[in-house]
Amino acid sequence: MLAYLQNIAVLFCVNAMLAVTLNFIMGYAGIFSLAHAIFFGVGAYTAANIAMHFSDSLLLCVAGAVLVSGALSMVLALPALRVRGEYFVAASLGLQVIGVTVFSEWKSATGGLGGLVGIPPPTVFGHALATPGEFLGLAAGGLAAVLLITTALLRGSFGRSLMAIRDSESAAQAAGKWVAAVKTLSVAVSAGLAAVAGAIYAFYMSFVNVEGFMLETSILLMAMVIIGGTGTVFGPIIGAALLMLLPPALTYLPFLPPSELGTVQQIVYGSIMVLLMMFRPGGLVGGRRKRGKA
Amino acid sequence: MLFIQLFINGIQTGALYALIAAGFSLIFGTTRVFHVAHGATFTLAGFVFYELYTVLAWAWPLAALGAAAAAAVFGVLVDRYVYSVIQRHEAAFFTVFVASFGLAIVVQNLIAIGFGRGLVTVPTPLSKSLELLPGLYVAPMAAVAVLCAIVAFGLLQWLLTHTNLGLALRALGENPELVRVYGLTPRRLSQYVFLIGSLLAVPAAILTAATSGLNPAMGHHIMLISIAATIVGGVGSLRGAAVAGLLLGMAENLSLAWIDPQWSEAVTFVVLFLFILFRPGGFFGRAVTS
Amino acid sequence: MTPRGDTSGAVRAADAGPVLLRMQGLSKRFGGLQAISDVTLDLPAGMITTLVGPNGAGKTTLFNMITGHLVPTAGTVHLHGKPLARLAPWQIARRGVGRSFQDLRLFTHMSVLENVTTVIERGSWLWQRRADPERIQAVLNDAGLWDKRHERAADLAYAERKFLSLARIMAGDASLWLLDEPASGLDPRSFDRFVALLRNYAARGITICIIEHNLDLVTQLSDRVAFLDQGKLLACGDPAGILKDPQLAAIYFGERA
Repeated sequence: MLAYLQNIAVLFCVNAMLAVTLNFIMGYAGIFSLAHAIFFGVGAYTAANIAMHFSDSLLLCVAGAVLVSGALSMVLALPALRVRGEYFVAASLGLQVIGVTVFSEWKSATGGLGGLVGIPPPTVFGHALATPGEFLGLAAGGLAAVLLITTALLRGSFGRSLMAIRDSESAAQAAGKWVAAVKTLSVAVSAGLAAVAGAIYAFYMSFVNVEGFMLETSILLMAMVIIGGTGTVFGPIIGAALLMLLPPALTYLPFLPPSELGTVQQIVYGSIMVLLMMFRPGGLVGGRRKRGKA
Repeated sequence: MLFIQLFINGIQTGALYALIAAGFSLIFGTTRVFHVAHGATFTLAGFVFYELYTVLAWAWPLAALGAAAAAAVFGVLVDRYVYSVIQRHEAAFFTVFVASFGLAIVVQNLIAIGFGRGLVTVPTPLSKSLELLPGLYVAPMAAVAVLCAIVAFGLLQWLLTHTNLGLALRALGENPELVRVYGLTPRRLSQYVFLIGSLLAVPAAILTAATSGLNPAMGHHIMLISIAATIVGGVGSLRGAAVAGLLLGMAENLSLAWIDPQWSEAVTFVVLFLFILFRPGGFFGRAVTS
Repeated sequence: MTPRGDTSGAVRAADAGPVLLRMQGLSKRFGGLQAISDVTLDLPAGMITTLVGPNGAGKTTLFNMITGHLVPTAGTVHLHGKPLARLAPWQIARRGVGRSFQDLRLFTHMSVLENVTTVIERGSWLWQRRADPERIQAVLNDAGLWDKRHERAADLAYAERKFLSLARIMAGDASLWLLDEPASGLDPRSFDRFVALLRNYAARGITICIIEHNLDLVTQLSDRVAFLDQGKLLACGDPAGILKDPQLAAIYFGERA
């Protein structure tokens, strides 16, 4: 029982990290990305590769993951700088699709469809993480770090710049805000921190393959942020928790054939998304109005 | 020979993409609603046709009408009962987009429950490929597809230039209040737009069912193409979306001469990326940098 | 109609002091529409210039070309003698050009305090430009918004929103203010407070250019008036002379010669 709970807890932390980092750009910068799973994946694959071929130091692997993911996010940032929201969604969708193909085909780096197996555990100060308890500590630590960094950024001048741009880009420009730089930085932070989640996930599972980084995952993450409430601190965390509880909760319904669980799950949160947008766009935490306060 | 084969496939695919993209572009260009559920409209029409024609063995004209009715009803109801509710209190792009997205997920999965997740095909007498020349396989369906597209666009063109409704539709994109001059309200007109836009997806859905088959998840790909074609063609330009749809279909097929099939979807997006970076206005649209 | 008096808004060398902003031969074309034709206008330092003219004359377009939100089809803009060509709006803003919008464009989801703080902070990074609390308080006091500092911009009353729009510019440390109909719709008391505030800052040496329809504001504040119609500068000079001109009045009120 303990092992089961620990497993759920680790996965929850990973999902919450992803939801919080997606909310960073969606709720505060107004940038809607359908490619978040790709940065998660890039983080995972990078950390795995560093651990398998170079060094299993946790610090090095995570740093590498953050750097590669942050650099890749520039690809997404470029369209974000130039065009309006709708176009950006399309570009992020494109990145998601291309990313999955790259993950599936680039066998030397990602192991292709089979994925990478036998990822060694990371070492912290010479000690290799082994027990589930230690991994839970890692995951919780990761979540805490992500929350700290994003909150610090949002409560400070960067957050104000971000929200100013979201409320009126032209007025923000007139106030001297270098909009392109702010947007680029926010995308980089979001992608870099998502990569941390990816690294933790790769080490915990000691196996990664493309299945976890597909469009379905990006959609699920978006649903977590929306249902929990964009632009709030706790919204994405609650969204992550709820959407993770959904599959196990559904197993308790006797009339559902197990093979259809995934489908029903999607129907449920699809419906919730529609209903929320109609009656409570701020999500569960946000309420009737979409807020954007740190 | 391979090249000619790919070229013909490309025209067939392109014709269907042009229709689908035109439907989405019409809706987005006039109502500014990012109707990602358009992919669901397509899937719905396709599966309804499959059910009526292959499973229940109706005559194909009736089955086609049934599919058209399903698509039209879906499009109009979504506008009436979901989008209009949202637009009353919060017209933000984000909210409408997410609702549309949620709908697409729901419909797609309902279809998966009803029909399974696998590929479903609709065999018709015209679906079988004929060997026109050594190594060149074309099914008569291809010609039907192109013909359908031409007829549909012809009708659309006539509608837009010769009827009051058409003129009002074009006005809606520029200045919603102008619409009242034609004796319509923006709300009412929006419903017509969704009706027509959804209907445009129907021939494409039926033809796809008859040629390559359907599966519930194809809504994603359809949406990708619609969005890409609308942007590449230029927002607000139906002609642009149609041309871009054709080109994307061609590109998707012709690229097979050089790259593996898994990458052909990526080709669409590379094209899209390039346009967003260097020419966000698309072929015929207005530049829309913020 | 034939242009009256000195149609070049250029200040003669013999006149007043230095010129803060110089527009020469500015033109803007949108497709088939010539929005601005060959406008030459100087904004002398420390003076309040008012831009008047009928709706659609191109006044806001002119502002947009100064602030970099629009690129001129022809002509140049020089600030402190340096050209502003090809600079992004944020760069021009950082050179000391403050601007308000006709539709305000407040940062609606942020509080009054945050609206002003973020302007003072200007830079995008964590460690740049700490906002001086005394400075914020001074600005908000001048604007009469100190008591409302924690309210969301979206929740403010109309007059308060107008003052917040001005407060943002005051916070920005700009030497040139471009105000687009800043006083429209203000009740008499707020109006008087507004005029006093502008006079105060003008006395401190700020150069102000106001687009206004309210002739009271024009008469009470302007050192100079520039009359724009259909993209052309028809007259520029002393307020009394221009406001009393019958032909200009005819254009302004809609009757054409």
